[in-house]
Amino acid sequence: MRNNGTSAGLLAALGCVALFSLSGCPEIQRVAEQAARQSGDERLARAIHGTGQVIGGLLPIGPEEEENIGQAIALQVIARYGGVYGNLDLTRYVNLVGKGVALTCDRANMEYRFAVLNHDSINAFAAPSGYIFVTRGLLNAVQNEAELAAVLGHEIGHVTQKHILDVIQRSKQISGVAEAGLAYASRNPDAFKNVIDGAVKKLLDEGLDQGKELESDRLGVVFASRVGYDPSAYLTFLNRLRQIKGDDRAFFKTHPNFSNRINVVQNALRVQGVRPGGALLADRFSQRSSGKL
Amino acid sequence: MRQPIRWCMLLAAGLVGLVWTSNALAEIAYVTAKSAQIRSGKTSLDPVIANLKYGQAVEVISRGERWVQVQTTSGTKGWIYDNKISSSRPTDADNELASLGQRFRRSDPSVTASAGARGLDKASEEYADRTGITKPHRDAVDRMTTYKIPDEDVQEFLKTGRLGEYAQ
Repeated sequence: MRNNGTSAGLLAALGCVALFSLSGCPEIQRVAEQAARQSGDERLARAIHGTGQVIGGLLPIGPEEEENIGQAIALQVIARYGGVYGNLDLTRYVNLVGKGVALTCDRANMEYRFAVLNHDSINAFAAPSGYIFVTRGLLNAVQNEAELAAVLGHEIGHVTQKHILDVIQRSKQISGVAEAGLAYASRNPDAFKNVIDGAVKKLLDEGLDQGKELESDRLGVVFASRVGYDPSAYLTFLNRLRQIKGDDRAFFKTHPNFSNRINVVQNALRVQGVRPGGALLADRFSQRSSGKL
Repeated sequence: MRQPIRWCMLLAAGLVGLVWTSNALAEIAYVTAKSAQIRSGKTSLDPVIANLKYGQAVEVISRGERWVQVQTTSGTKGWIYDNKISSSRPTDADNELASLGQRFRRSDPSVTASAGARGLDKASEEYADRTGITKPHRDAVDRMTTYKIPDEDVQEFLKTGRLGEYAQ
């Protein structure tokens, strides 16, 4: 009896494996794995599980995994940049500007959320799943809403292009890199921590590669101009940063130089046929931020 | 008798051809904004006659400077602001692959449940425990995750700034 049951189980498992291989369906894989385990063949069960992992590792990171990764990176950004600045009116204002830009960005169907970091440096960051940060120092350097919109557009560009997820999937330094979801779903918080720590190091210490920064520059100004902000505002802001930062080597470790960025933005405006003119909204920016920084 | 029948058949074939050609040549656009409104005229002051969702297809009837006249699949005709539609469908192919990958990698659905509505997820909590992230910083991410501004408020903000379709 037992032998018959085992054979039937094995046959069922093998049938499921064949189906799973042909269809690439994770549910069939799980049924096959379960059937093999019930038949007492743990090796076959593990092999089936491993095949699923290999396929899973090759496929892109899913939306819920992106949310998990985004949250964990957001924790580190907030911890390393002085926490979140507590002014609720200012937070709402930055969110309104950012959400307005995100409405017509290239990944408009996801939720974007914005926070101000209580830090004097001029900086902004984006984590996957739409977690976007600007420092208090950056808001001090901005002179109108159009500049803020372009900066937030730049960060939205990192999210729409999945730049951090790309870093995670490509990195050879982090073990199990393509399996961030797998790492913790398999109850392995150490592997998940490795993935997040590697991504945070890239985001906050080493910087994304220059191609990604320049791509976000191009997208940021296009996203902001789609809403009606003056595209020249971002050029003005980059020029101001060039004057403020000068030859700041630490900054250029993580970003392309300003002349390069300005050229790229100018070209993008020309190629995309972005119409000149639009809103600057310096008064609204001043009213909403005055005395709150 | 035969002659009129032949003419009728030719006419019918011509009409079918005409309909087929006009359908084949119809310009289709897709909503690329999070949401979009069709208005009865080509200004933001005209009343909204239909609400469209992200990715929804419409047929383009004519183009103004910033407003496009469209027709929905249910037959509603009106005007939509041009930055809310695109000739190319939003790319969800990658997302479908990503969802499939997530299903392969997931062994405990409760771990990867969407966190959008309820704040910090289990994986991030564990990560915070392991890296010594303090409670105020956890709470900050929690608040950020659940922070919502209604779409109407964003529209009102754009309106008062005379941005987007409210520029004219």
